[in-house]
Amino acid sequence: MISVRNLYHSYSNDDKYAVKDVSFEVKEGEVFGFLGPSGAGKSTTQNILTGLLQLQKGEVAVAGYNIKKIDNRMFNEIGMSFEESNLYGKMTAKENLDFYRKLFDVETRDSMDLIRIVGLQGKENIRTKEFSKGMKHRLTFARSMINNPRIWFLDEPTTGLDPAIASEIKDIIREENKKGVTVFLTTHNMYIADELCDRVAFIVDGEIRLIDSPKSLKLAYGDKLVDVEYIKDGKVLKETFSTVMEEDKQRLIRVIGSHDIQTMHTKEATLEEIFIKVTGRGLV
Amino acid sequence: MLGKVFVLFKRDLKVGLRDFISLYIIVFPVLFALVINIFIPGINETTVNLALLEGENLEQAAYLDNFADVELFDSEEAMEERLRKRDNIIGILPGESGYVLATQGNEPESVVEYAKALVTYHAFGVTVQDTRGEIVDFGRTMPPLKRMLVAWAVLFASVLGGMLIAISIVEEKVDNTISAVNVTPLSRGGFILGKSLIGILVPVAGTVLLLGATGFAGVNLGQVILLLLTLSLISVLIGFIQGINNDDIMNAAASIKILFLPLFASVAAVEVMGERWQFLFYWIPFYWVYKGIREVLADSASWGDVLLYAGIVAVIGGVVYAVLAPRIRKGLE
Repeated sequence: MISVRNLYHSYSNDDKYAVKDVSFEVKEGEVFGFLGPSGAGKSTTQNILTGLLQLQKGEVAVAGYNIKKIDNRMFNEIGMSFEESNLYGKMTAKENLDFYRKLFDVETRDSMDLIRIVGLQGKENIRTKEFSKGMKHRLTFARSMINNPRIWFLDEPTTGLDPAIASEIKDIIREENKKGVTVFLTTHNMYIADELCDRVAFIVDGEIRLIDSPKSLKLAYGDKLVDVEYIKDGKVLKETFSTVMEEDKQRLIRVIGSHDIQTMHTKEATLEEIFIKVTGRGLV
Repeated sequence: MLGKVFVLFKRDLKVGLRDFISLYIIVFPVLFALVINIFIPGINETTVNLALLEGENLEQAAYLDNFADVELFDSEEAMEERLRKRDNIIGILPGESGYVLATQGNEPESVVEYAKALVTYHAFGVTVQDTRGEIVDFGRTMPPLKRMLVAWAVLFASVLGGMLIAISIVEEKVDNTISAVNVTPLSRGGFILGKSLIGILVPVAGTVLLLGATGFAGVNLGQVILLLLTLSLISVLIGFIQGINNDDIMNAAASIKILFLPLFASVAAVEVMGERWQFLFYWIPFYWVYKGIREVLADSASWGDVLLYAGIVAVIGGVVYAVLAPRIRKGLE
């Protein structure tokens, strides 16, 4: 659905590249995470993919359309949820969505349905300048679904949202993905990437350092150990077992069979730890 | 694409009606028409004012009252005080060998001559019935001042159209909504056209209402609209560039005021400057449009003249477009 080959971009039109020799593919129905710290080149890449930035060098195809010369019909196939909410403040929530509906050539979703999906029912007739930051973000997110996109670009979709709302947004993303929507997720939040993404790309200083599934990365970079807390003779004991050594595996089975287990955790690495290991940089 | 362009226009109009400044700009032509109708006297209301001493010559006062507005004063001092006021009024006082005409000194000669003639006619006992002349007119009943103000208001409406665009672009920038529209199938050209419509259609509608409300409904509307549309090209471009260059509605509106200077200069040039200085204003599009609209309102414009004026404005607009278009396109990215 998305094909990027040797993409370069310079804002100053010289060899100071914000994005340097970036190549990747996103398959249909996949949730692809683009992870990196601020200024890494995530937004630049996404803006090129969505036509907001002119392609300078490289080959990019989105939904079968060549980005070199953008065909406006491409925008019927994609949806874009911006990190910063961008709504008409003097229009109500429903008016905002109704306006965007009319700009597409394909069948669009009912504005009220979308408002309900993001939990803004009852607020549809309020001008969005009266909305809180979170409400604006939800409406911006809802708007990105208005044309039933086949490819959905999400820029930090849960930033600034309280955990309950963020969880709802993640559920919506999963649901849409189940329907076959391809998701290109740009974030510096490793948790959402870990929860949602089939594959992630780590980008730092405009270059992709690694692309793989979170599971494979955890296996490759995590320790194969299990931390167990269990009760023996009224005392809480803590032990670490190898999940590879046969002796440790047998001992773990015995502990589980003969004692009350309080906690048990595999020592797999988080995406953030892997990111730091691979790139030598933090995600903030 | 046209459907989407009108969707954008309808959005801008709807939001404009919710904003006090935009609303004022939209209804300005109608408000101005009311002001013109209230304050500009009709051709039959234009008259000469005369000041006489109360009880001095009742018969003369009654005679003069047929031809002018007569005001009576109980003393010469009171009359003199009245004469010193700003408007044109001629005092008529008894003198040693007839009557003396008292003026402030800055009255138009025609007014003084008119008063002189009235006093002479009265002295010789001439009445309206004695005239042998017959009046034939061409049906022009519109005062020149009214025509000038309406022509000026048409130009002003076009500038305000540019102001509407600037306000709308600033709003898009403040709300950061241009990027959201850029990821829809509406092309960049469609966006620019849609944003331009409010700056074109609102002045056109306002002008039609203005002409109708001020008694110019019978003029050649096609000629007025052609001139207005060519001028709109420049107003629209200035509106876009000021919208792009400003982040605040008030600043954007204030920046558009830069157009008022050439606008007023053009009106002044056509109305008061001598023919040999007119060339100094040929580069100003307002000059040609004002000239054209003035002629249309006087029913003296030919299509040839109007096309010439519109053509000159279009050429100037083309130059402005060539200079500003790249900056506008970049600013809307």
